[in-house]
This record gives sequence, structure tokens and C-alpha cells, in this order.
Amino acid sequence: MSYFSQKNNLIHGAVAAILSAVNFYIIFTLDPPNKAQGIFGNIFFIHVPVSWTAFVLYFCVMVAGIYFLLYKDWIWDYRGLAFAEVGTLFMFLILTTGPIWAKPAWGYYWPWEPRLTTSLILFLIFLAYFMLREFGGNPEQVSRYAAIVGVLAFLDVPIIFYSVKFWLPEMQSHPQVGSYFDAANPLPTYLVLFSFFTLLVVSSLMVRYRVHILKLSGEK
Amino acid sequence: MIEFRSKEILSSMFIFGTSVTLIFALAFQVNQSIMQQFAPGLFWVVIFFTSVLGLNRLFIRERDANALWTWVGGPVDRGDAYVAKVIVSILLILISVLLFLIPFFIFLNLSTNFSWVHFSSILILGIGGLSTIGCVISGLTLQAGLRDVLIPILFFPSASPVIIATTKSTELIFRQKPVSEWQFWVLILLTFFVIFGLFGYLIFNRVVEE
Repeated sequence: MSYFSQKNNLIHGAVAAILSAVNFYIIFTLDPPNKAQGIFGNIFFIHVPVSWTAFVLYFCVMVAGIYFLLYKDWIWDYRGLAFAEVGTLFMFLILTTGPIWAKPAWGYYWPWEPRLTTSLILFLIFLAYFMLREFGGNPEQVSRYAAIVGVLAFLDVPIIFYSVKFWLPEMQSHPQVGSYFDAANPLPTYLVLFSFFTLLVVSSLMVRYRVHILKLSGEK
Repeated sequence: MIEFRSKEILSSMFIFGTSVTLIFALAFQVNQSIMQQFAPGLFWVVIFFTSVLGLNRLFIRERDANALWTWVGGPVDRGDAYVAKVIVSILLILISVLLFLIPFFIFLNLSTNFSWVHFSSILILGIGGLSTIGCVISGLTLQAGLRDVLIPILFFPSASPVIIATTKSTELIFRQKPVSEWQFWVLILLTFFVIFGLFGYLIFNRVVEE
């Protein structure tokens, strides 16, 4: 039975598609908050929610890893891998949209901003995670090792963030954030939250789909 | 004990560290003031590379002699075994650093006019941090086919807070700045050491599970 032949999955997919279409329509038809940045300013409405979603997904990798280590239930290994795959895709989107937004905002593509740098380091750790999954030895061991790396990676996040933050104190954080979130004009705040909600629905669909495929391949 | 008799890892780490220092000295032909600014970064890059060499060999005797499973079945707590591996790793890296420290300062014409006590404290904390996470990663890649590749690609990004903290604090110590200016980095190193030390201790029985 295919994934979308189940009613629940079909509804989930339809909601994700409709929310995404509405979301992108609003983002790209809205006047840019900072006229000087033009359309690139609107990327912010996708960049911030993508970042939140990626970190939520990596947090889920850690939780799945802990569950797998405690209960040795394979479903948590499948979930952990699916969270990692989708999370890494979102992390790649952060690393793509970040520099596109940074160029008009700061004048250069890579500003060594703490959040962006933390994302890059996490992205590299998760690329190594997939290498370990691929070349780490026998499958049972590799799943255990991958779960440990998933926990290790998320434990590293606050230390990396504070190290980078104080490494370049002049580059504290997004200097433009305040200008986007303004009490007099609450639309950007709602849009960021709406985008985040949309991306959570999309990512949960992707995770469920990947778990479905991984379970099928595991059963063969 | 076997290592301290054969000195296999130690000698390779020392020669590697000195060779990398020589390469840096040849590659960066700059005046002394610029070199003094570069030196902390270069110094910790050499330690990072040298550590990888040590971590590659840390479990090699168990693997080569197929002794890991005997050790797993023995009446030893695996967390204690992890602590022993961290201590051995710290000692190995520290001794190899002490050996290539002299060529490093001579080849790069660096001034030695700074507090050696402060420098030593950062050295021990930095190497401690590298060893806590390094031993977990070395254990994780024990059975991997691409072990030589997997260790650095997992180790370098995971240990990046250590290179930031050690480089910044060493730079400030070389410039003879007061402790208050670099104590934040000591805090970062201590946090890293405690978090990953505890993590390794708790998780190691899952790392070397049969």
C-alpha cells in the first residue's frame, strides 16, 4: 500500500501543500520591510522559520537517539535518521538563505554571525553523521553510534554558540531583527510564526514519509 | 604501559608536530609581530592535527589484538575505562606538545615573555577538552572501515569551541593581558570538559557494547 493511499497521510500532504502555497504567496507579494534590500529582505521570512525548524528537527534527533539508546527500539532509529535527513536539508537552506540575506544587509555573504556559524558547524557534524551511518561498521552498531553522535551534536550547540558569539564580539547577532519585529506593524511577526508553523507541517510530513520508506526497506 | 615502553604513538606525534611546525615556518615568511599574532592559532592547529594522530591509535591495540571483547566482558566498569583512556590521551598529547614546544618557539622566532603558568593552565584545559570528546569519537569509529577519515571529520567540527577558546585565550596570554580578560574562555573550556567528560563517562558502556 502506497504512503498516500492512507487517508491521514493524504490529508497531511494536502494541508502541507496548501499552507506552503499560501505562505510563499504572502512572502513574495509583501512589501519588503527594508526597501533598500528589495526582494532579498523578504527572504528573512523564510530564513528565520527554516532555522527554527532545523534546530527543532536536530533536537528531535537527540530525543530519538536517547530513546533508541534506552529502549533499543528500531522505530526510534528510523525516526532519528529521518529527523537528521530532513534537518540537514533545512540546515542547508539556512546556509543558503543566510548569505543571500546577509549580502544586502551587511555587504558580504559570510558574516561569521553566531547563529549562522553554529548552523555551519552543526551541518558539518551531521554530514559526518551520515558518513558514519554509511561506513561505520555493522548496522546494529552503526545505529547505536549514530544515536550517540546525534546526542553529542546537540549538546555541543550552546557551547559552539557562546564561543562564536564572544569570538567576534562586534558581530553579536542580526542587526536588522529589531526593524522586522515592530509592535506598530505586527504582520512580519505573524508571518514568521505562520511560516514556522507551515514548515513544521511540511517537515513532519517529510519525516513520516522517510520513516515509511525506511521501515519498508528494513522489512525487505 | 605498552605505549610508554614502545613509544610508538608518542614518537609519531612528536615528529608529526615538529614537521607541521616546520611547514608553517616555511610557508609563513612574515615579520615577528605578525607571526606573534598568528602563533596561537598555528600552535593549536598543530595540537589538533597531532591529537588526531593519537586518537587514531588510542584503541588500536585492543582492535589489533582483538582484545576489545575480552575487555568488555571483564569486571571493569566501562565508564572507568573511558576515564583511563582520557587520562592516557591527555598524557600522550601533553608530552608530545612539550616535546615540540621548543622547536615551535625557535622556528617561529616567538617571544617567550608571558606567564607560563597561565599558558600551562590553558594547555591542560584545552587538551583535556580535546581528549574527552576525542575518546568518545575514537571509540565510535573503532569498527569503521573509514576510521582514519571519520575521526577528523567528526572531531574537528565537534571540538570547534575548544579551538576558539584556546586560541583566543592563548593570544591574550601572549599579549600579557590580565586574567579578567580571558577568564571567560577558561569557563568555556571548563564547561566543555565537564559536559563531554560526563557524557563520555555515561555513554561509554553503549560505545563498547558487544
